[in-house]
Order: sequence, then C-alpha cells, then structure tokens
Amino acid sequence: GKMEEGKAYSQDGVLGHLEMLEAQARELALKQEEMEQQEEKLAGLKARVQELRAQRDELRAKVELQQKQLLEKGVVKDPAQPSAQTVLEWKIKSIKAMLQIFYLTGISGKLTKRGVCFCISTAYEGTYLGSYYLDILTKPEVRIQRHSVPIFIPLEQIAKKYLQTDIRRFLSVLSDHLNAYAGRRYQADQFEEHFSDRIEGTLQRNSLCNLLVFNYNVSSNRKTFLFNVKLLYGDLCCSLPTEATISCTPSAPASLAEMAAAHSEVFRHTALHKAFDSLSNAKETQD
Amino acid sequence: MDEVVAEYIRRTVLKIPRDEMLTVLQKWGFLSETQLQTINFRQTKESISQGVVQLCEENSADIKQAAVLDIIYNNIYPNKRVWSVYQMNKTEEETDFFDFTDFKKKFKRRLQSALKNVTINFREYEDNAIWIRIAWGTPYTKPNQYKTSYVVYHSQTPYVFISASVLKSNLPLLCQALVVASNYHDIREMELRSHCLNSLKDIVFKRYSQNFQTYYPRQEKNVATENVDLRIIQENKNEKERIQRVNREVFGDGPQPKLEFAQYKLETMFKSDPKMDVLEKKEPFRCLVKFSSPHLLESLKSLAPAGMADAPLSPLLTCIPQKARNYFKIRERKGFLPGSFVSP
Repeated sequence: GKMEEGKAYSQDGVLGHLEMLEAQARELALKQEEMEQQEEKLAGLKARVQELRAQRDELRAKVELQQKQLLEKGVVKDPAQPSAQTVLEWKIKSIKAMLQIFYLTGISGKLTKRGVCFCISTAYEGTYLGSYYLDILTKPEVRIQRHSVPIFIPLEQIAKKYLQTDIRRFLSVLSDHLNAYAGRRYQADQFEEHFSDRIEGTLQRNSLCNLLVFNYNVSSNRKTFLFNVKLLYGDLCCSLPTEATISCTPSAPASLAEMAAAHSEVFRHTALHKAFDSLSNAKETQD
Repeated sequence: MDEVVAEYIRRTVLKIPRDEMLTVLQKWGFLSETQLQTINFRQTKESISQGVVQLCEENSADIKQAAVLDIIYNNIYPNKRVWSVYQMNKTEEETDFFDFTDFKKKFKRRLQSALKNVTINFREYEDNAIWIRIAWGTPYTKPNQYKTSYVVYHSQTPYVFISASVLKSNLPLLCQALVVASNYHDIREMELRSHCLNSLKDIVFKRYSQNFQTYYPRQEKNVATENVDLRIIQENKNEKERIQRVNREVFGDGPQPKLEFAQYKLETMFKSDPKMDVLEKKEPFRCLVKFSSPHLLESLKSLAPAGMADAPLSPLLTCIPQKARNYFKIRERKGFLPGSFVSP
C-alpha cells in the first residue's frame, strides 16, 4: 500500500508523502462537500415538489367545488379545461373592458402605419360629450397629419409649444382646452334650454363660448330693474368665468349695487346652468 | 313706406317658393300671426306678395326690415349663390373674446368711413354664424339694394365665406372691414368655391367624416346584407373588398361635402415618344382640366367600386377636402421635388 510506497522514499519524500496525503484529504473533503450540497439540493427540490403537489391538490379541490356548485346551478356539464373558444372570448371581453377604461380616461390612442391616432374624449360633470381625433405622424418628425379639432381651438399654438418636445404635455393641454370648451358649451346649451324664460332676449355667445352676455330682471322694493351680465372666461382651460360683470341702468338705486355684487359672485363660482337656482336662494336670504 | 322698400320686399317675397312663403314670413317675424292669417297662400305668388307688401305698409316697414327679410331668404336658400372662402391671419396669440356688438361697430365704422353709401345689416344665427348683408352704392349714389354681397362669419375662426356681387371692386373694402372688425391682420382668398355653403363650412371646419383609426368606440359597421344567392360566386371578391377598404380609408364612411367642380390648370411638359417629335419647343403644354358634377366628391367615391377607375384614386383628386381647395395649378416636377409641384 501507500505506507510501503512511502517507506521506499522515506529519506527524500516524507514531505512529499505528506503533501500527497494532504491533497488526497482535500479531494475527499471537496467530494464530501459536493455530495452534501447535492443532497441539500435534492432535499430542497423534494420539499418544493411537496409544496406544489399541495397547491395543486388545493386548486383541484377548489375547481371541483366550483364545478359542483355550477352543476347545482345547472349551468355547465364538465369541462375540466375550458375550450379554446371560451378562453378567446374571455380574452376579448377583458381587452374590450380595458379599452373602454382607456377611452373613459379621456385620452386613448392606436398605432397606425405611420404614427399614432389619438382620440380625446370630453365630458362635463358625468355627461360624456364629443370626441376629437388627431392623426399624428412620427417620421421624419412628429407632426399632425390631420385632425377633427374645431377650428377655434388654438391647436396650432399648443402644437408649436409642446408637440415636438413633450407629446404627453401636448395631449394633456389640448385635452384641457377641449374639455373646458365642451363644458362651457354644455353649460350655455343647458342654460338656453332651461332658463330662456328667465332672461330678457337671447343669450349672446361666441364659438368658443368664452364670452356670454345676457339680461335678466331683478326686483327691489317692488320695482323691476334690468341687469346686464357679461361673463368672460379668461382661462380657456377653465369652464368657470374669470370675470362676471353686472351692470344696471344708471337710474337704478344704490342698493342694487350690493345685489349686483352678490350675483356676480354667484356667476363666478357656479356653473351657468345652475347659477339661477343659486340666485333665487341668494334672493331669499336677502328678502 | 318708401317705394323702393315696397318694391324690394315684393320682389324678395316673389323669389320664395309658394309652399315655403308662410314659414319664411314667420321666421322674419315682422308681420304678426294675425296679419299673416289674413293672407291666402293659395293665390298666385304675385297676389300673395302684393298682400304682404300691403301689410308691411300698415307696419311701416323700412329698409332695415326689408334687408332682414333678404338675409333670411339667403340663409334658407344659400345654394342659389356661389360662395368663396377667405382665410384671415394674425400673429398675436392672445385669447380672443369675440364680442358681437364690438364686431358690428368696428365693421360698420371701417366700411362706412371708406364708402358712406352702403346699407349694412347683421343677423346672428344659433350655430354662431354671423350673416352680413351689404348693399353697395357709390360715392355719388345711394345704395342699390339689388347689388348686394353677403358675408358669413363664425366668430373666433379664421375663415370668412363671401358671396360677392358683380361689383368686384368693392371686395378689397369689404375684406379690410372684416379684418379690422375681427382683430386679424390680413386676409387672402382661398382656392375653394362652391354653391353649397354648408359643404364649404364642413371642409374648412373639418366637420366632414374623416376615417380615424381607433379601438373605441367602435361603430359596428353595418355590413350591407345583400341577398346572398349561393349560386352566384364572386370571382373578384378579394379585389372588391380591397377596393371597398381603400375607398373607406380615403373617403371615410359618412357623406362627402358637396362640391360642383374641381379645376386643374396644368403647366406641365408634354411627354411623348421622342421619335414622334411633337412639341419640339419644350415649352409647358398649357391645359385646363375641369371635373364637373352635381356632387363631385360622391361621384369620385363611387368610381372605383363601379369599376371605372383603379383604387386608390390619384391623390390630386382625393386631397380636395383635406387641402381645402378645388382649384389647382400643377407645374412640372423639378428634379428632386417629390411629385408635381402644386402651387399654394
């Protein structure tokens, strides 16, 4: 054996023999470590298998329970696996729901051959108003190919400012403009529909609905006076006026100035088609 | 009541189709319901108009009311005139608060300072359209109520629709007054003309149906369910479907704006076989191509499906609504310019 080999070289190779023994020991140690690692891994994997089996059993139990419940409701007969058809239908349904959500957030888009087509939807206090579209090309540079935005919305200005540098900001600013316009127009339309009898003459408006003028009667001390209202919407992204100027005939009593100021406040802070109701309330507290 | 006014009202009423007379007079609102009831609208038009004039006499109508009646007539029947589109420009980017009273004042002041003898009347409509009627005189004669121009302007837009009268010389004056009144800097005539005012508006206001690709909302297109006879096999089904698809992409789904013609002025070189030696001089071959139709864009849309043209049609034809023009000048392709040069 090895000891005899060692003896043969005892004079020159004791150290050499020791080295050899060391190396062997090291090898053995490494092998042992490896084996231990393997065993650990194996144990781990076995545990994982157990886990997964338990999960599978749980899910199986759930499915069986649901199927039992379905059977009790008399719906579907078996299948252990849903058919490709039903999976597809479910996928389509969930995508449609997702697209509807995107649409309801107000800005949605679809990739086209040469860029993107954006749809900006407008709404005011829960009522959905129109949608506007922009076909945007992305090569060679970002530009609007065509659109359905009304001509009086300052689209060119907004595009000049933001389209090249920050398209998200562009869409957001444009959406603000369109939503505010839709809101102002909605208020004016509703006001005309429901309060035509409360005003003298007609409501004067313009395309952007950012300047509205009308007249209405107020009574004070059993006399009626005519108020002329000029609503100026200075912020195109806002659907409330920035200025509400109420003027009266020069012969009106001074007390009317207070009423005018109060009414002006109402118009500044209340939506136009709700303003008259607030005015009646204000009036009641005055009398 | 002035004789001129009486005659003018009489002639205006005569223009109205008999069945519509009552409606138009009601819209006018100058004669009361009771007065209108005294007119027998089954008589001849001449008798009806005489009756109307008499009632106007009772109410002492003046030129203003007569002018309003004329505006109402032209607003209901705008397609009897040819309308041109003008575009205004401005450099300021301030928000414009369009005040109608202010507009009227400025317009009148500007026009009358240049030419005193004009009759100017305004009427505002629900769709924010402002109609202006101008009857022109000369520095030495009173306004001639039969020489009129009409302007239709939507506030806060750069477009003006003008139906000029014979007196083209007054156009610069009119344009100046418009620019001043609407707070713009300058104005130029676009290459867009038609009888159908609403279609012109549709084109420049982009109200016509453009086909935008979206996921939602998806208008489920009602596929025309033809009576499918299973014995008939469509050999060209693929091609037919391709044509429908291309057509829909180009023209959209809805009705097209109504134009009566498209005119192309060609200043291009005649390209022939060099051996034939035609037009040696190498000068542009001047030629005018005019397409006429009661409804040009609809007929272009139906060309490919009817098998009379290849789809897609030439972009020179299909770009009309998008470019907002139906008059084109086509010059020669110059080396590196892509496609023919269409002049602005």
